Amino acid sequence: MLDAAPQTGRRKLVEVAGLKMYFPITAGIFRTKVGDVKAVDNVSFDIYEGETLGLVGESGCGKSTCGRVILRLYDPTAGSIRIDGREIAASAQSDLRTMRPTMQMVFQDPQASLNPRMTVAAIIGEPLEEHTNLSKAEKLARIYELMDQVGLNRNFANRYPHEFSGGQRQRIGIARALALNPKFIVCDEPIAALDVSIQAQVVNLLEELQDRLGLTYLFISHDLSMVRHIADRVAVMYLGQIAELAPRDDLYATPLHPYTQALLSAVPEPDPDVETERGRIILTGDVPSPANPPEGCNFCTRCPKVMEICKTVEPAFREVAPGRFTACHLYDDTKTTAGVTAAYEASKSIQQGV
Amino acid sequence: MTDLAAQKVDQALKPPRNQWWDVWDQFKTHKGALVGLFILAAILLAVTIGPWIWSIDPTYVDIRARNQGPSGAHPFGTDQLGRDLLARLMAGGKVSIAVGLTAMLLSLFLGTLIGVVAGFFKRAEGLLMGLTDLFLSLPLLPLLLLMVTLFREPLSQRFGPETGIFFLIVFAIGVTSWMQTARIVRGEVLALKEREYVLAARSIGTPSRRMVLRHILPNVMSPIMVSATLGIANAIITESALSFLGLGFPPDFPTWGRILFDAVDQMQLYPIRVILPGVAISLTVLSVNYIGDGLRDALDPRIRGR
Repeated sequence: MLDAAPQTGRRKLVEVAGLKMYFPITAGIFRTKVGDVKAVDNVSFDIYEGETLGLVGESGCGKSTCGRVILRLYDPTAGSIRIDGREIAASAQSDLRTMRPTMQMVFQDPQASLNPRMTVAAIIGEPLEEHTNLSKAEKLARIYELMDQVGLNRNFANRYPHEFSGGQRQRIGIARALALNPKFIVCDEPIAALDVSIQAQVVNLLEELQDRLGLTYLFISHDLSMVRHIADRVAVMYLGQIAELAPRDDLYATPLHPYTQALLSAVPEPDPDVETERGRIILTGDVPSPANPPEGCNFCTRCPKVMEICKTVEPAFREVAPGRFTACHLYDDTKTTAGVTAAYEASKSIQQGV
Repeated sequence: MTDLAAQKVDQALKPPRNQWWDVWDQFKTHKGALVGLFILAAILLAVTIGPWIWSIDPTYVDIRARNQGPSGAHPFGTDQLGRDLLARLMAGGKVSIAVGLTAMLLSLFLGTLIGVVAGFFKRAEGLLMGLTDLFLSLPLLPLLLLMVTLFREPLSQRFGPETGIFFLIVFAIGVTSWMQTARIVRGEVLALKEREYVLAARSIGTPSRRMVLRHILPNVMSPIMVSATLGIANAIITESALSFLGLGFPPDFPTWGRILFDAVDQMQLYPIRVILPGVAISLTVLSVNYIGDGLRDALDPRIRGR
């Protein structure tokens, strides 16, 4: 958002530290564990109250898993998750139940995330059914209020999900997430399955709701332009780890991590002159398997600026400039206070050396 | 979307209608299901109210009137002992349908319960599916025979010969026919469990119990419905087989299966005695099948209203 206030001094609503989510790989007759898929590997970030943190990365890099683990839809392997000051990484599902109204989720596929055998009223009413003791009439009033909020006609309350378009279904999903007045919503690629014209509507609806209700979003997406539009800060994920985390404008203007640079260079430019001029960083090779990530830096197999140290030592995820975090050996020598541009220049010279 | 603010002021805002009305509306459009419902109702009426109107005792032996064809005194004729076939069919139908329905309900309940628990709770899966495979691998007929021989006496003494055997047969058929349902349901549940709306329910904080009732069960309705309709037929036929082997109800106690197998000896002389109970069984099974079909369509909102 353009009116984003300075981040310092604001309350942290979500604090994630050292989060790991490994899915076991089993093999053989006895289903013995032979390894792990490291879907989320040592991820740390904070989300301030009222802001939108964009989480971007290519398919399969662990974005969605990360979002789901934060809401404890999966049980994390290690790490801590604090939401609204409460540690939830290890609490039992029954204890989590009381926390659920604070944190909600909007899903990627609006078709799959709505039960085909429930009416819209029943779908939106499910959270109310679970967490409130409203009477039937009060519940219906609240359902209508929510449908108004997301711009759905009240007459649709008795219809079933298959009778709606994709954008309308996503609105139903958003209304369900809003039902309990949550503070924090994980938007798991809410626009990926929608038409481009509908995408803008849904994103604008999300922004409008954020302004009105003071919501905090974790916005997961692989659409860099959309994230640029909605997010206050952006985290870039690669192979289960966060490569870079920075305020939106800084990240898009001067990306630090070579992966971010490559990712941003892939965004098409509407101006044809600029588009032809623009240098495109083309990565070679494939993403390594998350079951067997490379030693050292996860990106070292494809990095255009790879150094010897990258192949042996894992870079620490640290603050290289105020508010800008990255995990890259290119910035090892920079102090937290050092100018970013210097580091950026340094990285360029290394590229020439390669 | 064009329906944003303009349509907010609404004229005819109806509160959500009870969805069973929609189900009934859709059911009415299914011709086969309506015919099936009509036939089943007729059969049920015949076997419940019929004996009051046609008051000949189905076990009354009139040896001089044996092997008669259809006549005014005996519309369906008589059997080799001179018992009235119409009265026997009505009395037998009551037992056969009761056995079929109860055994089907029992096997459906067991199959759905085990299937859902095995599919939804990973910890229970190994044990329950092992149990299912165990039951599948048992030779059923010898098992049924063994159960009947072992438990017939004690149950007869406890509840009287007819009720005792009724319980025994329903139980025997129920516990030996739930495995197919369990396997099908488990497969469906495994697929449904990974759907995003189940994940959404978990993010809302819906406990597993209500998740199963609200999201899983309504969506496994179709396969359950199909096994239910097939289950009735299976139960009636298994009961016939048991009666045929002399291990079901007492020999003079009429059931459709019993009447059928009594008539098989003289099938070439008196084919009508085979045809009538056979048609009764087929009609019941067929009408239940069609009702199940219509119900399954009516319960699916995606098909409803089409």
